[in-house]
Amino acid sequence: MSEPLIRLENVTKSYPGTEAPAVGNLTLDVYEGEVLVLVGPSGCGKSTTLRLINRLIEPTNGRIFLKGEDVTDIDSSQLRRKIGYVIQQVGLFPHRTIAENIATVPKLLGWDKVAIASRVDEMLDLVSMDPAVYRDRYPKELSGGQAQRVGVARALAADPDVLLMDEPFGAIDPITRDRLQNEFLRLQQDLKKTIVFVTHDIDEAIKMGNRIAILREGSEIAQIDTPEVILSDPADEFVENFLGSGAILKGLTLKKVRDIDLHPIPALEMPVMRDEALRVLEESPEKTAVLLDKDHRPLRWISEASLNRTSQPIEKSGKPITIDLQPEDTLQDALGVMLQSSVGMAVVVDRSGKYLGCCSIESLASLIISDSGGASSS
Amino acid sequence: MTVVSPPRVERSSLAERLDLIVAPIFAIILAVIGGAVWLYSDIDDTTRAILAPEKLQNQLVQTLVLGFASSALVILIAIPIGIAVTRKGLPRLKNFLVDTLGLAQALPAYGLIVLFFSWFGAGIGTVIVALATFSLLPVLRNTIVGLEQVDNAVIEAGRGMGYTKRQVLFEIELPLAVPVIIAGIRTAIVINIGMAALAFLIGGGGLGETINSGLKLDRNPAILIGAVLVAILALIFDFLSAVAQRYLKPKGM
Amino acid sequence: MDFLERWWTFVSTRGDQIQSALGEHTVYVVTVLGLASVFSISLGIATRRNVLARELSLAVTSVFLTLPSLALFTIFIPLVGLGFAPSFIALFLYSLLPILRNTITGLDGIDQSVLESAKGMGLTPRQVLVTVQLPLAWPVILAGIRVSSMLIVGIAAIATLVAGGGLGDFIKSGLARLPLPNSLESIWTGTILCLLLALVIDLILQALKRATISKGIR
Repeated sequence: MSEPLIRLENVTKSYPGTEAPAVGNLTLDVYEGEVLVLVGPSGCGKSTTLRLINRLIEPTNGRIFLKGEDVTDIDSSQLRRKIGYVIQQVGLFPHRTIAENIATVPKLLGWDKVAIASRVDEMLDLVSMDPAVYRDRYPKELSGGQAQRVGVARALAADPDVLLMDEPFGAIDPITRDRLQNEFLRLQQDLKKTIVFVTHDIDEAIKMGNRIAILREGSEIAQIDTPEVILSDPADEFVENFLGSGAILKGLTLKKVRDIDLHPIPALEMPVMRDEALRVLEESPEKTAVLLDKDHRPLRWISEASLNRTSQPIEKSGKPITIDLQPEDTLQDALGVMLQSSVGMAVVVDRSGKYLGCCSIESLASLIISDSGGASSS
Repeated sequence: MTVVSPPRVERSSLAERLDLIVAPIFAIILAVIGGAVWLYSDIDDTTRAILAPEKLQNQLVQTLVLGFASSALVILIAIPIGIAVTRKGLPRLKNFLVDTLGLAQALPAYGLIVLFFSWFGAGIGTVIVALATFSLLPVLRNTIVGLEQVDNAVIEAGRGMGYTKRQVLFEIELPLAVPVIIAGIRTAIVINIGMAALAFLIGGGGLGETINSGLKLDRNPAILIGAVLVAILALIFDFLSAVAQRYLKPKGM
Repeated sequence: MDFLERWWTFVSTRGDQIQSALGEHTVYVVTVLGLASVFSISLGIATRRNVLARELSLAVTSVFLTLPSLALFTIFIPLVGLGFAPSFIALFLYSLLPILRNTITGLDGIDQSVLESAKGMGLTPRQVLVTVQLPLAWPVILAGIRVSSMLIVGIAAIATLVAGGGLGDFIKSGLARLPLPNSLESIWTGTILCLLLALVIDLILQALKRATISKGIR
């Protein structure tokens, strides 16, 4: 491993009046380009640790290094302009437009107006929000998910090497959270920032992290390693308890939908004639096909039986498709969706909703079996 | 379980609009009354002397000077104190200040003005200091409340992004506290212009002089016109402050 | 201190004067508060459903508070003469807003679910008002009465300027005789007694609060 990008060395944070320190003699390295997740029970000190990195909380003892440089004593405001910071309640400035919000750090750093304006648009595009629509809006006009997207855009505006995120998706509904997590993972693939991410949710940690640090009280590291190692080899009882039961099931969060071979279910794109549909269904092994609209988006599950049973047009036969998966979704999500679906399968779509293929329980099961077979032999 | 929630600071848009209409209407009604009195009542020479235009003009200017000087003084003192006291680490001082000043509200302004006179002598300066003392509370309290109600998440985000403490104060806290602070300043201006009417007691001039002459010489028209003039003045400045309040509100709130 | 001694002499030799001035002042405060409370609370109840009427009442009563005290005390003189009448009217108009505003916010701030369950149990609107809403809004209304009382105690000192009596008399006579002996003591007496009266009224209102507010919502 190369030199760590961030290093907390023997860092302690104690508050007057409380015996046990919030962070006790912690030494932690974060490497360039990785997503390190700090996870642990409430009150273990993970948020405090995060805020020691950008010195929103000053250490009582110890040194902090960024890119090899000792930043423990430098001007903290200057330090923070080089680090992106995203918090759960977002904290967008309500009295400023979205563009002004995003432009905050570039402005502090003295970028010129033209550069700032184009950067703002670039950032809005990055988080999939149309600049023309959102640039001049105010935070109060945004939904929770949109607000957090702007929060991320704002944090990345000055192109920091490091991004600190404190339960960023915690205040968002589960469906939007899932989507945001996936988008964020896609973003990270392109940007390759160094990210320290705090969460209390072990599933989120496994999904998002390249390495996970499981923390005990006092921010003491119980185990720090890749998700695979932690799941297959928990260091002690604390880690085991924190992981919860069903490590194999948890292991499903390690694999993504894109890791499975998609099932070759035939797709019929509207408009399609009944005869042709029947022919295709005849040839397909499961006698099932996916009906797509003219934009290549999945509409319904069609089967031979359902088609023959009714004289209705094709668009009304079979069962509607109400849920879908994306390639970044974990296999755990996939299992849930497949169990809900009436045909024991789930459609996989890309980021614009277009059909990619199907995911079946059988292929999932064979992946689990081959994996656990591999694990037990190591 | 709290069954009654604390009063909302927000006002409906109807309330805001009425705010801007009712005061001017009142001012007009008063002006009409004053005009009617001038035209239809018995204006003898004494009354005419009391109501001489140059006199009234002087007094008007005096009242304005007193009202604004004391308001400016209050703003210069109260806002910095309000800021200082809401910084981290001073909650007890803040509570103490708010409690004592709350009690000070029951002190008669009349008494205060006279006491200041006994200490500092006659004149405009004394009146200004006395008025400022009296209107200190609304501005101080509103500065404190306004700063405290700023969402902590926004402040944390600002600090986390690299704003210095000073920048957080000026770029985030103060702009977001402005509506509440201006409401306090508006109250102070109204109090000060109103109380400036008492300046005559200690040789500070002002429109109260006309009212007082009317009282002493038993000339009702003078009393009424003096009262109407000072009332209209206060209403005009209340209206102007309400307009300022509306237009200084940051967009997006 | 020398001054305190002199002040004590002043106060102890003028028991009658102090009593009568204090009495007059108290009469102002009590009668005005009583009438204003009845008026404002009724107005608040009457207009609570009609947004226009409610905002209009709030706007008008707050204009009263904007009017300079000397102006309000003197403007009614041509109509009612000097003395108690104009002072009472002015103080009455001043004290309306805080009570009205708090009545409205108090009634507004009641949890909707409580009102709904009351209605659901078969209480008529009037019964809901009397047995549920008013008791629950009472703490807030009382707070408004308290604000008004503080306001009035201080402003009532001006009554002396229109021959209305009250503690302002001490201030006026002190001012007239400055810098003669006992003038300063006179001024302080008027001022401090106002403050003391305010404290006493505050204590009474707090006791009233404890006595009339159910333990459940304190």
